[in-house]
Amino acid sequence: MKDIFTDLYNKVLGFFRQTEKKEEESAKAVACNRLKFVLMQDRTNLTPELMDRMRKELIELLSRYVEMDKEALELGFEQEGNQMALMLSIPVLRAKDEAEIEAILEKEDEEKAKKDQQTDSVEDDNAEAIEDETSDNTEETEASEEDKNTSANDENISEEIEITEEENHSEQAEKKKKKSAKTSA
Amino acid sequence: MTALVEAEKTVSKKGDIMSGRVIVITSGKGGVGKTTTNANIGTALARAGKKVVMIDTDLGLRNLDLLLGLENRIVYTIVDVVEERCKLKQALVKDKKNPNLCLLAAAQTRDKTAVTEEQLKEICEELKKDFDFILVDCPAGIEQGFQNAVAGASEAIVVTTPEMSAVRDADRIIGLLEAKEEIKSYKLLINRVRPSMIKSNDMMSVEDVVEILSASLIGIIPEDTGIITSTNKGEPIVNDEKSLAGQAYRNVARRIIGEDVPFLNLEEDTSIMSKVKKFFTGLIGKEK
Repeated sequence: MKDIFTDLYNKVLGFFRQTEKKEEESAKAVACNRLKFVLMQDRTNLTPELMDRMRKELIELLSRYVEMDKEALELGFEQEGNQMALMLSIPVLRAKDEAEIEAILEKEDEEKAKKDQQTDSVEDDNAEAIEDETSDNTEETEASEEDKNTSANDENISEEIEITEEENHSEQAEKKKKKSAKTSA
Repeated sequence: MTALVEAEKTVSKKGDIMSGRVIVITSGKGGVGKTTTNANIGTALARAGKKVVMIDTDLGLRNLDLLLGLENRIVYTIVDVVEERCKLKQALVKDKKNPNLCLLAAAQTRDKTAVTEEQLKEICEELKKDFDFILVDCPAGIEQGFQNAVAGASEAIVVTTPEMSAVRDADRIIGLLEAKEEIKSYKLLINRVRPSMIKSNDMMSVEDVVEILSASLIGIIPEDTGIITSTNKGEPIVNDEKSLAGQAYRNVARRIIGEDVPFLNLEEDTSIMSKVKKFFTGLIGKEK
């Protein structure tokens, strides 16, 4: 008899408590998230394809310097008042050391040189001379820029190595604010 | 009539020639309540003693006349004014109840190309001399009809509802308004808010919409079945003193005039069932 009453009590209680229950994925939350995503696309005019391309290019660029979890890389826009920010979150598995980075850069330079030669050989003679000059110039500037980049990043990388060593190579996400762009339609 | 005299007094107090504010009421998406908002804000402003003219720019799909119950009084339309078949003043239809309120109706048999941006600008400039407020009812969409409606305005009210499609379209409209130099300010009006659905997390809240659009708010209007009956009767709901939506629209009008009016608390659920539930929840809470 007592059981029946406690059961009834719990049922009644359950009915009145229903309103207090909060679902994690409410219709409101879904709507907000979907809207935010679609509005970012509307405001920036960036199609999902272009976003994907940007993502790939960023991975390509950043993997010269760090070994990262490519699948977990997050790229998206976030609204901060009237400003829009491009947020990039990269879980870093391991930072590469100087020798590795230089090896990668050298390899890339070689590949580039090879490519340039290939395209040059296709072009006719007159264009070849001009092309050679310009491509030489750009290569020089690019190389110097890359030198700067590596030297600037040296400190960061050494810091990261320290951290990763301390934390036993645990995954570490680093948020980088790449650039801000003002919204305008 | 006393209201009219009062309005003139306030103007003469300022000591300058009457130069009305031109406010366009727009939304992007159709069916969110632009025309209802227009009719109610216009009526509320007129009730507050302001001289108000409403321009329906939805050529071919006019409805503002219906909401005001003036459909049988229209002789000339905005197209007649533009094509010089009548004077501007002849085309203004006075409201049945409030002499402060006028309507410049759209032509039902013509399309959006019958009036140009320049012509609308001219009409607005002309009306500014005689009215405190010129409310422009904008058609849905972002095409020429929108461009025309916005042409003469310096302020805008963007009407939206807490639904995804309406918010998305409002965002687009805000982008277009920001690109227009003539529009000095725009405000957001959130229509058809359902407090019970927001409470149960089934609908985006007013705060969510404001945050997403990052625009300043001028009004929150609760969903109200009274809107349908008031439309059926051709009587704006602001004239119904008991209606919550009417109260909300009256508050919007006061904010437009410059008063600092707090937003209505729509959270209070007044249905019988919720009261019963609340009572028992309270009891259980005490026992524990």
